[in-house]
Amino acid sequence: MSGDNQKWLDQNTFHHGEFWDILDLVKEKERKNLKISLCIPTLNEEKTIGKEVLILRSELMERYPLIDEFAVIDSGSKDKTLEVAQSYGADTYLASDILPEVGDKRGKGENLWKAIHQLKGDIICYVDADISNIHPRFVYGLVAPLIKRAEVQYVKAFYDRPLNYSSGLRSSGGGRVTEILIRPLFSLFYPELTNIIQPLSGEYAARREVLEIIPFPIGYGVETSHLLDLYERFGLDAFAQTDLDRRVHRNQTTNALGKMSFGILQTFINRLQSQGMIDRVPDMETFYRRFEVEDGTYNQLVQKVVEEERLPMIEIDGYRDRAVDS
Amino acid sequence: MLETSSKEFDLGNLLNDLPNQIEKLREIRKLVLTDAVLLGEIPSPTFNESDRIRLTVDRFRENGLDDPEIDEHGNASSVLAGSEGRSSILVMAHADSVFDANTQHVLNVGPDSITGPGIADNAIGLATVVALPKLLKMLGIKLKDDLILLANTKSLGKGNLDGARYFLETKQRPIRAGICVEGATQGRLSYSGLGTLRGEIRLEVPSNYDWNRFGSSGAVGHLTRIINQLLEIPLPKEPKTKMVLGGLNCGTTYNKTPRRGVLRFEITSEADEVLDDLKQKVDDLCVQCSLENGTKVNLEIVATRPNCGIPFTHPLVKATRSIMNAIGITPKVIPSTGDLNVLIEAGYSGVTLGLTQAENIGEINETILLDPLQAGIAQLLTLLQAIDQGLCES
Repeated sequence: MSGDNQKWLDQNTFHHGEFWDILDLVKEKERKNLKISLCIPTLNEEKTIGKEVLILRSELMERYPLIDEFAVIDSGSKDKTLEVAQSYGADTYLASDILPEVGDKRGKGENLWKAIHQLKGDIICYVDADISNIHPRFVYGLVAPLIKRAEVQYVKAFYDRPLNYSSGLRSSGGGRVTEILIRPLFSLFYPELTNIIQPLSGEYAARREVLEIIPFPIGYGVETSHLLDLYERFGLDAFAQTDLDRRVHRNQTTNALGKMSFGILQTFINRLQSQGMIDRVPDMETFYRRFEVEDGTYNQLVQKVVEEERLPMIEIDGYRDRAVDS
Repeated sequence: MLETSSKEFDLGNLLNDLPNQIEKLREIRKLVLTDAVLLGEIPSPTFNESDRIRLTVDRFRENGLDDPEIDEHGNASSVLAGSEGRSSILVMAHADSVFDANTQHVLNVGPDSITGPGIADNAIGLATVVALPKLLKMLGIKLKDDLILLANTKSLGKGNLDGARYFLETKQRPIRAGICVEGATQGRLSYSGLGTLRGEIRLEVPSNYDWNRFGSSGAVGHLTRIINQLLEIPLPKEPKTKMVLGGLNCGTTYNKTPRRGVLRFEITSEADEVLDDLKQKVDDLCVQCSLENGTKVNLEIVATRPNCGIPFTHPLVKATRSIMNAIGITPKVIPSTGDLNVLIEAGYSGVTLGLTQAENIGEINETILLDPLQAGIAQLLTLLQAIDQGLCES
């Protein structure tokens, strides 16, 4: 692992516990005259949205005024998502009502994109609606690096990811799509981006200036495209990441993950084309990069994986001679 | 006579304010619900309450209390100074839960309810105690007495109320009265502690056991015999006495004869001498089983509480009933086997109140209803004011 990578990891990887003093964050935010908006994109999330609104509003707007604005932006839920969110005091919007002149597309990315128009904050924090163990750290852990470090533009969450099974919890590394699709792709084409421990996490915060200049895929590719587009423009130093500990959420079926991977792959190949990377395939990397966390230290493990190939047997002299002998 | 009338008049003033208070609490109850979720999602099995206690102390500070303390038994306490501070009122909630640390402590918040392990017993009770300084401030209530807030540990099961007992034995302030806060059930009115005996009968078939002996059996068979004999022990109707066989752990599979087993039981009685007598009978039964069958049978008493209480006619009980009636809650008298016992044992008058309605208590899907909660909190605040105004003393 190169020294630059380790330096970036040391300087730009945080643990939410470093930002426990929310009052201090509020003071620094006010001193820097920053406004922070929180957006929860929803589609049929009646089971978890009430708790998210209750906890985040009570703790981060009423007890500590870290968040200036809090909106639930919905894609047209058929269940009671909006009713429950409103009952706990959320401002709710239908994505289709925001910027109606550009039309309405169905997908999480649409809600995130329209949030930039609807919300007024200098920093926008996005938190998925399906987190069962929601806690204020999911927000303050992400906005804190943006408050404290002017050069940081975009902060991703990462987790010790237990999945929600009826029998209890089990530990996992990154998600399956991260480990099977994204990390190998990044290792091949964007080795530096493998420093982002969970590139697909649905929780992140960013400055308005960077969100307003990048396109937003509407579907599964939105997180991947953010990383690729901002990396191309600003390099790795614009990023930071925060360990938010445990995130309990619904497990997805393999079929759903396959569909998700297909969407992400489309976004990825689009970026390869637009960034002229397709032609560089022959130069591709042969180091596979993954992560290990030990005693609170994040180490990138680099393994050389060279897929050597043998010629067709028919081209081997010994094989042809054998055929003649017999 | 004149004094009694004056007290009734003062209590009447407090009761008149109840509807207004309930309405205000409807708006600010989110404060309590948030803490109930955050506290409730921290596992807090008896003897391992320290993580939940740490957040409790943080919350005491955040809610305006300067010097919260954690004592040697892990209890968290703090004092909200009254305007006069001549005496103190104790409000306590146990911080431990029956669920072990491996239980997934995730609470689900619906529009009308919260569901998850330990939310009723006693995350919502603890959250209410923690929020009291802020609730009092928001409602503009100022007490003359100091208010001692206590999150007590080691309350349940083998904890045997040790946390509260230690706190009351070592506390330095005079206490005028105490209120124990439980999440459920609204309408509960406890003013007496029921004599209680909790025990475990541990049976072991020794390695040199003679399996050819007449009546030989594995642990299941022997424990079944013990259970049958326990059920044959006559229990008096007066004084009221009850035996509950609460748990049986024995064996691991279908086809292996187990050698060990544990039976847990509780005996409650309105008479301490009945408890003593029944304890002796259970002990005799264990010795008999051990000698007759060549097994090792041990009785371990894990918790005891003597009978105690204040009279039904005590002004504290009368005031509590009046408050419940004014809200439209029908009081249900339930003798306590919990924290109230040590409070009354220590010589203080006290009651236990329930805050709301609950379902599936003790199960993973334990649920509290949110609509009754503001009335439940209002009854607590009004009783607090009544004690503070000297309306609950004989």
